[in-house]
Amino acid sequence: MMRPAMKLPLGVVLAVAGYWLPPLLGGSTLVYNTLVVTAIFAVMAYGQDIVLSDLGEVSLVHTAFFAAGAYATGILAADHGWNAWATLAAAGAAALVLALVLGLITLRTREFAFSLVTYAANVVCYTICYNWHVLGGSDGFVGIPPLDLSLPGLRLTALSNKDLWPYAYGLLLLVLYFVNRFRRSKLGHAALMVHMNPPLATMSGLDPHRVRLLVFLVSAPLTALGGWLYAYQRAYVGPDLFETYFLVLMLTAVVLVGRRLLVGPLIGTAILMLQKSYLSFGAYFDKIVLGAVLVAVLCLFPGGLAGLVQGRRRRPEAG
Amino acid sequence: MNVWQQLANGVIMGHAYALTAIGWTLLLGAARLVNFGHGQMYMLGAFIAWFAMRALGLPYYAAIPLSVLAGAALGAVMQRAMLRLTLQQNLVSLMIVTLGFGEIFEGVAGLAFGVKPQMIGSPLNAMNLQWGPVLLTVQDLTVVAATIVMFLVLRAVMAHGLVGSWVRMVAEDPLLTQLAGVNVARVYLGIFAFEGAAVAFAATLVAPRTPIITSMGFDEVIMTFVVVVLGGVGSVGGSYVAGLALGVFSAFFGALVAPAYTTAAAFLIMIPIMVLRPGGLASGGGLSR
Repeated sequence: MMRPAMKLPLGVVLAVAGYWLPPLLGGSTLVYNTLVVTAIFAVMAYGQDIVLSDLGEVSLVHTAFFAAGAYATGILAADHGWNAWATLAAAGAAALVLALVLGLITLRTREFAFSLVTYAANVVCYTICYNWHVLGGSDGFVGIPPLDLSLPGLRLTALSNKDLWPYAYGLLLLVLYFVNRFRRSKLGHAALMVHMNPPLATMSGLDPHRVRLLVFLVSAPLTALGGWLYAYQRAYVGPDLFETYFLVLMLTAVVLVGRRLLVGPLIGTAILMLQKSYLSFGAYFDKIVLGAVLVAVLCLFPGGLAGLVQGRRRRPEAG
Repeated sequence: MNVWQQLANGVIMGHAYALTAIGWTLLLGAARLVNFGHGQMYMLGAFIAWFAMRALGLPYYAAIPLSVLAGAALGAVMQRAMLRLTLQQNLVSLMIVTLGFGEIFEGVAGLAFGVKPQMIGSPLNAMNLQWGPVLLTVQDLTVVAATIVMFLVLRAVMAHGLVGSWVRMVAEDPLLTQLAGVNVARVYLGIFAFEGAAVAFAATLVAPRTPIITSMGFDEVIMTFVVVVLGGVGSVGGSYVAGLALGVFSAFFGALVAPAYTTAAAFLIMIPIMVLRPGGLASGGGLSR
């Protein structure tokens, strides 16, 4: 383990250096595409990470939060001309409202009952988006304008993936900082206690139901932030956002490297996106790889890649 | 609206739901496991039958046992991979692993069988029966009959057989069962092989009624969740009744309100039941009911 005094400066150096990663890797369009979607999907995965690693539940409705962020952004930007700051707030708010409603209903259940109910909620959301013309129906929304975060006297727009990189990277750093803070916060500690030892949590005066709901409410807007940027990056939102691909992607990203490791989901996402960009033999092949990685990690080395590297040295938490 | 026709459709659909869910009933009741790859296994069962007929030239009646065998093998392989997690009762990881298997199955099916919708050419589907105002096919009647037989057999095995008592013991307490000298790993393997075989069997009978496509797993089988939950988890008789009720509800909801929202409506019924009776899910031992 590194001494805490060393951790902060190293983190800052890595964070600054990361910004120049795309030019260091050659700066081609493919490099920028890969790194931008890595940042977006990592942001998406961090919402799931909090629920899975800290609360110990598998939420199958996080694709709906991702879609909520993307849909709010797409509809308001394409049809109502909102700028990116306004859609950012709207994406977070949409996910928060959805999470509040779903959380109040679903968080009374645990483990497979929770997963089943969240899966059901996800299918209901998908059915509504697919069939209701107000939400674009099966066609979705096209013609989302490029990202425009301009402030008075400062032009901040992004037309290509290369232009998007600073914003995607900035968003990723903010989310990393936030998740780090969350794990040190009162709520973060409470979540872990509710997960690992519910009777102790109750005896300590915590209300498990309230803690679970609060963590859920924190996680949903995080995932929605990924959806917000994804809507601009793809310039299209549609019901395909509910596909299990995104769900399996975020779960794999979380478990691949190791749970409760701050950079785990980021590295996991990066590995999966590198495969998709550089080692792909088509969409079906990617599905097989994604599923096989998920199965192999959990069945063969449940501690993730970090567990392999560290060998027998135990991490504090086993999830 | 032809009420009798809708009622008949509902009864047939209900039996199809119940038959598709029967493997899950045992899985959840006995092993306390869920299989989010169930939908993709249904899809594979249908496509293996289709492939056996199209590429190998087998008749429909030979394609059924072939698909069932493949399903059983698939279920057994899955459980073998998940054995350690199963014995640890690590439910969270198990759920994620089954999602991963579903993703693999869908990718493999896409590579092997292509993207185009296909039809399983069952000869039973071409035999029409007219009974008053109601039009049926022999395929429909086969689904109903097979479902009734399967549920009666499963119930009898669970209530009276030695295998049934092992499964009930594993459901109660896997560790104690192991101490009693039963090979728990083998019981789990059998349960998963049954789940795979049962869903493949359901697919070979139910899927010829509509076109099949490799991406259908997600949609086709969500009703299974509703059946198992409404029926009371692990209850064999309950699943049958729940499937039937859900089929009739879907037929009339589709005819009177909107077919597109049938699934959503069924789930909206399920959610409050799951949330208000979580105890019913955690408590077990209802297998023989």
